[in-house]
Amino acid sequence: MKLPKARELVEAVKALVKGPYTSKFPAKPHVPYSSFRGQPKYDPEKCVGCLACEQVCPAEAIGHRDETENGQPKRIIIHYTDTCIFCGTCEQACIADHQGIRLTNEWELSFFDRKKESFESIEKELQLCETCGAVIACKDHLKWIAERIGELSFSSPTLFYSHLKDLGVVDENIISALKDQGRSDRMKILCARCRRETTLTTK
Amino acid sequence: MARSVIPIGPWHPLQEEPEFFTLTVDGETVVDIDVSIGYNHRGIEKLSERKTFDQSTFVIERICGICSTSHPFAYTRAVEDIIPVEVPERAKYIRTIVAEGERVHSHLLWFGLAGHFLGYNTVYHWVWKLREEILDVLEILTGNRNNYAMFKPGGVRRDINADDIPLVVKKIDSIVPTLDRLKKAVLDDPVLHARLKGIGILTKEEAIDYCALGPTSRASGVAKDVRKDAPYGAYDRVDWDMIVTENGDVFDKVVVRILEVYESIKIMKTCLSKLPAGEIDLNIKDIPPGEGIGAHEAPRGETFHYVRSDGTNRPARHKVRAPTFMNLPSYRATVIGETISDATIILAAIDPCYCCTERMAVRDDRGRKILGGPDLVRLSQEKTKKLANKMGLQ
Repeated sequence: MKLPKARELVEAVKALVKGPYTSKFPAKPHVPYSSFRGQPKYDPEKCVGCLACEQVCPAEAIGHRDETENGQPKRIIIHYTDTCIFCGTCEQACIADHQGIRLTNEWELSFFDRKKESFESIEKELQLCETCGAVIACKDHLKWIAERIGELSFSSPTLFYSHLKDLGVVDENIISALKDQGRSDRMKILCARCRRETTLTTK
Repeated sequence: MARSVIPIGPWHPLQEEPEFFTLTVDGETVVDIDVSIGYNHRGIEKLSERKTFDQSTFVIERICGICSTSHPFAYTRAVEDIIPVEVPERAKYIRTIVAEGERVHSHLLWFGLAGHFLGYNTVYHWVWKLREEILDVLEILTGNRNNYAMFKPGGVRRDINADDIPLVVKKIDSIVPTLDRLKKAVLDDPVLHARLKGIGILTKEEAIDYCALGPTSRASGVAKDVRKDAPYGAYDRVDWDMIVTENGDVFDKVVVRILEVYESIKIMKTCLSKLPAGEIDLNIKDIPPGEGIGAHEAPRGETFHYVRSDGTNRPARHKVRAPTFMNLPSYRATVIGETISDATIILAAIDPCYCCTERMAVRDDRGRKILGGPDLVRLSQEKTKKLANKMGLQ
């Protein structure tokens, strides 16, 4: 039998004392470094529903669906975890101070049912045109624009009404009195098409 | 004696460039090799034309899992060449750090696999354990072990946090002692000398004729390195040496790669200590019409990108040339005349993707399968064992 060298013995003893190099993974969860790029998560409070993330996503892992039927119109923003490449472009493009969608440290993303578990979604309230019912934008988005541009928002009733409604200083009775589908419709929250019509035509 | 034909390839989804070799063997000796490439069209270039300049970086990054910095580096340089524009100093340093980290992990990966092919499985496990440290470094700096998502035309996406630097330097330093021992073990090992010296020789003339790149050419005495020849990033601001050896055999290719790991570690550490303050991104909004080229010394050699813009926000044409494309034909010069048990390590010596070797099968004249991929690896490992026994070392 060949005798082991001293160096090999030292190595063997070291290995015995230190234990295995590998982690005890399923028993002990893996903790990634704080800078790890993991699953992006929406913050429903901070997100304004502008869809900038959907536009920049290189893997097309973000989609949306607008539901205007049955009462509460809402925009559902869907993030597909199985398509995502965790590049962080969504976070960089986020207009809400990069807080609306943020990469987390979460890496354990396995699932059983692709149809049900491979995505995450948030719902945002939609603002519809008060005349024709078309989708304008998310309510939070209009508020965000109004706050950003300050007094300039008074050039657009859509913007300042959204803002004033949020502050609770709009008298609904006055608005409902103006129902003649004419020039007075301009003082409403309108989509671009209706805004053009009410401005250029008199009924 | 009947000649046998060994087909290798052509498919493997993990390979950067699927390749198909037909080895004609006469008994033990390889008498002819035919290399045909161009299988498996992935449509990366077309896909890149569909994405915006910014998004393309991520497609390009996924050309290869190991070179996931090299391709974006060359691509962003090509886009910056269209405008043309110089990226901020800090971005240059960060780019260099990530690129060198990638070189370290790529060379270590190759080193480990070469050990496995030769039957040195201890080397294999040691090196791959070592590689974990550099992957941790890359995870701390970029947020991921591979596919770093750091590059963008005009700068980098992510800044290096000053608090992370001590930990990063500590981790890089921890590689060196083990690497020293491995280097000594490999360079002084008589079996490896007998096994690797003088096989698969690519002479200097052949290296020039075949336009070999990267460590393959540098091992043959052709001093060719984009980082030195046309400095970019922070490579001209850091002191480092180009490793060139003269013999061109497999042993020299091992030596070049091991020594390059030391140089890369040196570059990374100098860059981390000299990291200048300032912006990391130019926020480029428009790319004017025009064309640009970008090159980067990837771990396997020079990778080259050509991008044409027509003034829109998408590339009009994007051409990629990866280093293995240039290195593959050199097999004709290296493999012919060697034995089958050496063929595996010679094919591996230019550092292509190994996946292809898993798909080897030897067939005799009547088409019966006599050897598979694992058999060839076994043959190679057995040869090392035999040599060691003969030298009385085991």
